[in-house]
Amino acid sequence: MQADDVFRQQLLGVIPRLRRYARSLVFDNPAADDLVQTALERALAHWHQFDQRRDLLVWVLSIAHNAHLDQRRRDARLSVVDPERASADQDAQGGDPGVDVGLRIDLVHALARLSPEQREPLLLVSVEQLTYAECADVLRIPVGTVMSRVSRARASLRQFLDGSERSTLGGSRGLRRVI
Amino acid sequence: MTAERPDDALLSAWLDGEVEGSDNTRIQAWLQENPEDAARVRLWAADRDALRARFSPTLDEPVPERLTQAVWRRSTRFDRGSWLHAAAAAVLLAVGVLIGALWRGGAGHEPVSAAVPGWTHRAAVAHAVYAPEERHPVEVNVREGDEARQRDQETHLSRWLTRRLSVPVKLFDLRAEGFELVGGRLLPDANGPSAQLMYQDAMGQRVTVYLRKADREASAAFRFERQGDLSMFYWVEGLCGYALVGPQPRERLLALAEAIARQDQGPARPPGR
Repeated sequence: MQADDVFRQQLLGVIPRLRRYARSLVFDNPAADDLVQTALERALAHWHQFDQRRDLLVWVLSIAHNAHLDQRRRDARLSVVDPERASADQDAQGGDPGVDVGLRIDLVHALARLSPEQREPLLLVSVEQLTYAECADVLRIPVGTVMSRVSRARASLRQFLDGSERSTLGGSRGLRRVI
Repeated sequence: MTAERPDDALLSAWLDGEVEGSDNTRIQAWLQENPEDAARVRLWAADRDALRARFSPTLDEPVPERLTQAVWRRSTRFDRGSWLHAAAAAVLLAVGVLIGALWRGGAGHEPVSAAVPGWTHRAAVAHAVYAPEERHPVEVNVREGDEARQRDQETHLSRWLTRRLSVPVKLFDLRAEGFELVGGRLLPDANGPSAQLMYQDAMGQRVTVYLRKADREASAAFRFERQGDLSMFYWVEGLCGYALVGPQPRERLLALAEAIARQDQGPARPPGR
């Protein structure tokens, strides 16, 4: 038995947000779309498990989270491409013109420095704007853990950004590679 | 009165709108009185806005072809087919002919719809057949006569269907959702009896609930089907399969389906004071 047209239409509707989450998690654009494709295929394979009373986006995000976890376990190291090159890709495609390019590169660097355990809930809550309960659902962790991880992620991100802002304020235009 | 400082986790949760009531008020007051903490929270908000600005342009990008293709890819050569075409064909035949015979006498195609279980197809057909009926929409009508007669009919309907189906048949109370019970009937399922309850709203629009004994006990997720004018939510709970069919929009039908699923938990009783 396979997924029907209604379910497939519903899936099409969540693709843009899935892509945004994947992009913020994986940085490399083709790899992000690979993750989205895997999530969509798994969603289709398990469509009979999806209870229509639930939120489809939250369900598919949890599938994407698991797929990314599998990917990380398979890779020897994080599948994060050099953030500088990824940012250059983003610049070429045209991001928000109002944001200082220097800050954007620092932002992606800072984000990449967070552990996945901190980065994922931060992105789900801040960018995807899930509630803590929905985020807990996606990541299969308690709501209290979501709360503390988001809080620590924010503090860490701020710290990293403070650090790099201080270095550019010092006058040097070059970015210091921190890894 | 010295207030206790809310910790970072709480301030962070406040920023996300996760704090309610008196705690919310308390934190707002604290931030007004403590500019350093307020500045930190503002920085977190600015970082959050920067993250959104950085990644949200993705939403406006056209969806890559390969992702759309992935959604529409099917692994079987059978098309899903139109079960409403089949419903129209069934209307032409007298009730009582086994649905199976229809397809054997057909144009040599495979049975309609590898995607939808057979019994839900029958539920859709039953709706298409009986919902338009003016004079005989149901076999046992619970709206005729005075209150006493109506209650008798309800009791009779519930007991009769329960006995025939060998599963408890509750007469769900959907008045809170704007639907009154019209009555019900017995129907032939593939290998035995099934039941149809019919409900009607103030404007005469109808929904039907098809019930049948499940092949095995289960607690299955709600599924949704749509074809043309009709939509359907179906699920299995315990020993009973339920299919709610109607022309209403999905959200409306979902509210009804949830009301039914909730009532299924309680003891069987006919609606009425």
